Amino acid sequence: MTARLEGIALGYGYPDHPVGRDVSLSLSAGEIVCLLGPNGGGKSTLFRTLLGLLPAQGGEVRLDGDPLATLSRAAIAKRVSYVPQAHAGYFPFTMRDVVLMGRTAHLSPFAAPGKRDVDIAEACLAKLGLAPLADQVYTRVSGGERQLALIARALAQQAPLVVMDEPTASLDFGNQARVLDEVRALAASGIGVIMATHDPDQAFLCADRVALLHAGKLVADAPPREAITPATMREVYGIDADVLDVTLATGETRRVCVPRSRA
Amino acid sequence: MNRRRFAAAAATLVAASALPRAASAQAVRGEVVDDAGRKVRVPARAARIFASGPPASILVFAVAPDALIGWTTPFRPAERPYVAPKYADLPALGRLTGRGNTANVEVVIAAKPDVIVDYGAINDTYVSLADRVQQQTGIPYLLLDGAFDRISASLRTIGALAGDEARGEDLATYARATVDDVTQRVARVPAAKRPRLYYARGPRGLDTGLAGSINMEVIDRMGATNVAASMGRGGLVQVSLEQVLAWNPEVIVTTDPTWFASVRRDPLWRPVAAVASGRVHLAPAEPFGWIDFPPSINRLVGLRWLGRILYPDAFPEDLRPAVREFYTRCYHQAPTEAQLATLIATAERTPPA
Amino acid sequence: MTARTAWVTLGAVAALVVAVALAFSVGRYPVAPGDLAALAWSKLTGAPSGVAPTVEAIVWSVRGPRIGAALAIGAALAAAGAAYQSLFRNPLVSPDILGVSGGAAVGAVLGIFFALPILAIQGLAFAFGLVAVALVYLIATAVRGHDPLLVLVLAGVLVGALLGACVALLKVLADPYNQLPVITFWLLGSLAGAAPVDLASALPAIAVGFFPLWLLRWRVNLLSLGDEEARAMGVETTRVRVAVIASATLMTAAAVSIAGIVGWIGLVIPHFARLAVGPDFGRLLPVSAVLGAAFLLLVDTLARTAARIEVPLGVLTAFVGTPLFLWQLVRSRRSWQ
Repeated sequence: MTARLEGIALGYGYPDHPVGRDVSLSLSAGEIVCLLGPNGGGKSTLFRTLLGLLPAQGGEVRLDGDPLATLSRAAIAKRVSYVPQAHAGYFPFTMRDVVLMGRTAHLSPFAAPGKRDVDIAEACLAKLGLAPLADQVYTRVSGGERQLALIARALAQQAPLVVMDEPTASLDFGNQARVLDEVRALAASGIGVIMATHDPDQAFLCADRVALLHAGKLVADAPPREAITPATMREVYGIDADVLDVTLATGETRRVCVPRSRA
Repeated sequence: MNRRRFAAAAATLVAASALPRAASAQAVRGEVVDDAGRKVRVPARAARIFASGPPASILVFAVAPDALIGWTTPFRPAERPYVAPKYADLPALGRLTGRGNTANVEVVIAAKPDVIVDYGAINDTYVSLADRVQQQTGIPYLLLDGAFDRISASLRTIGALAGDEARGEDLATYARATVDDVTQRVARVPAAKRPRLYYARGPRGLDTGLAGSINMEVIDRMGATNVAASMGRGGLVQVSLEQVLAWNPEVIVTTDPTWFASVRRDPLWRPVAAVASGRVHLAPAEPFGWIDFPPSINRLVGLRWLGRILYPDAFPEDLRPAVREFYTRCYHQAPTEAQLATLIATAERTPPA
Repeated sequence: MTARTAWVTLGAVAALVVAVALAFSVGRYPVAPGDLAALAWSKLTGAPSGVAPTVEAIVWSVRGPRIGAALAIGAALAAAGAAYQSLFRNPLVSPDILGVSGGAAVGAVLGIFFALPILAIQGLAFAFGLVAVALVYLIATAVRGHDPLLVLVLAGVLVGALLGACVALLKVLADPYNQLPVITFWLLGSLAGAAPVDLASALPAIAVGFFPLWLLRWRVNLLSLGDEEARAMGVETTRVRVAVIASATLMTAAAVSIAGIVGWIGLVIPHFARLAVGPDFGRLLPVSAVLGAAFLLLVDTLARTAARIEVPLGVLTAFVGTPLFLWQLVRSRRSWQ
């Protein structure tokens, strides 16, 4: 049975401040779903609700068919991992320690990581090209390297599904590309990724499906070609944009979305 | 008199001359100069005296008990049996002196005293407090020096204030005679026979007084050597058990009943000479402490008690008549035989349990 | 364990051993080094030492318990401080933040006020310390919808202020001649009267408090990432938080009940330990404990030998701790991250 996370007619937000309602969204292993929407649209809140970090304000979330509310945090963590936006951090843990924290879901409550866990962490670091930084302090490496470390951490957690909240925010052009490559590699290895982003091009690059979030409701849940059109971009972002196919020097064609200037 | 005191006195004069009608209704005896050098106008006979702290309360109570308006704090149950109920029931009006004011100035005024008396150390803080209260309330405020050598003078002053010079004189003579008698007997004790004494306070017995602290005043007068004197001058300090063992005092005087009860069973204190020989003595405290607090005339009775403890040969007589006389004269109630027995019980040696 | 951690731990333990040896050999009562050696030997071999019984009593019944108490309390306060600093994600947090010292102060002052025996005073201090933190926690859980850590800290500040006012009120009502000096000395912190019974009563509570902290050492690391991330990685943050608070409170209340209020250890020692071995709680906890024990022992030894009188412990830890902290702050140009 493949892993599957689904929100069913989900209402999300806070008791005195609802953000969205009646959102039905699912993620299965091996697919990449991009959640597209403007800033402040509630993407993070929706993700937190899907992960069970915020109580649902309506509807329910199911993980592999089980209602989320019936599962312990450890059980959830074994099946879904979370990659938040990289932050500065409070204490000077090493990169290795940060990735090692991802192993917690597989440790008994009173255990500390053992040799096997350290090996897995180092393998994940290596997979993302971070092996030379293993002993560096997390708070002193670059933003891109921190984000990659968090992805490595999710890898170490060995969960079949990954929730990523705007993983390329505040990354430079090069690091953005690296992260997106890693996301595609994850899906290729059978892991399901749902990724929040506000850049339609990223959706075109890696998404199998695009969920368009607008005013707390899902206005589209379809492959990128159908979900991202000038009409939907107008509706969601309020701007005029063209959707074009471009051919790269390698011969590969890519679809891009280019906003028109307001001249 | 320095300029500040002169200015204070001048201000007092001006203020005193503007006393409200109520105070000047009585025949004014004129100015007296209190022990701080302040000139204060007082009535011919003060029928109501407000004592602004515990030492003053005891002083006034001894000389003119019926003029005393109230106490600083209420009597505890253990203390009540030693004074007449009408005095024990006087209201508790709080402390007006420097050690933490708890008296409400309006309460002071409402009590309609003819004069306020403060008895204790004289320094600028207390002088300024006196001037303030006097200006605020219009009630004459007298500062009397609580030094031990001035006890007789202070007794006379209160007697004159209350219009009962004879009584003041009587008590002053008694106090003088007591002090002289004790001093002479102590002087005859050779230095070699003066024991080394440790003054134990607090529930662990590890708080003590340094040389020159007011707690030790009476003990110092009795010629005992304070083991803590080697640490210099000062007030109350904390020491360690190791230090006490190193000092190895021959006599211990304590004010804490909890510690007194436990020390005789405590194996850690047993090596101390005083504990081993049973010379640990709990100072009586009913109705007022006998040797240290409050620092007032209540300590006169402690002199003979200390004499007996320190120099049994120089003070061979039974303590009871002297204690009875003191209580009758100063607290106006002769103690019963049972009370006397309780009071002097801890003067005897009590070997460890 | 890295080489650096190994060296630091070795160094800390060595410092501890030196501190213990030093503490046993100095004091107001003259004890010859030969006697000390004979007593140590007799303890190891069981043979009679041939030393005067008073000296033997001094070393084993007076200095010994005091040294043991200093070690236990120093370790407890440093460990509690390290735990709270990880829990609250703030290197400036001390074990008092949730009001345990304020509660213990009220309990002890009440005991002194009613002239209770020492054991009752200590028991009241311990009980009130626990109750104060329980109250803070209850208030924090009753207030919903906010960051749980922030609410805890605020509730701790509020309850602490209230308890401080209670202590102040009791000081006003206390007998200024007999009770107030006792209260003042207690509040300043001291191990002057440490007796074997004190050690026997505090040590179990401190040990019981250590145990859960050690068991949860890995999870405490995750707590410092924030509630959401920790939960996303499988940590039941509420339970771990309760366990950490309960353990730290148990240790701190036990420490304060026998020594009075001794500050700075819980704040400064974990800070230095973190600089030495990093923030991993599995390393931070034992190193903080050892350093805290050694530090408090040295300070207490100073307190009983430096001046003619006993210097209150709380005063001395502040006087020694503050310059250390400032020196480190000035020297390191980077932040403590």
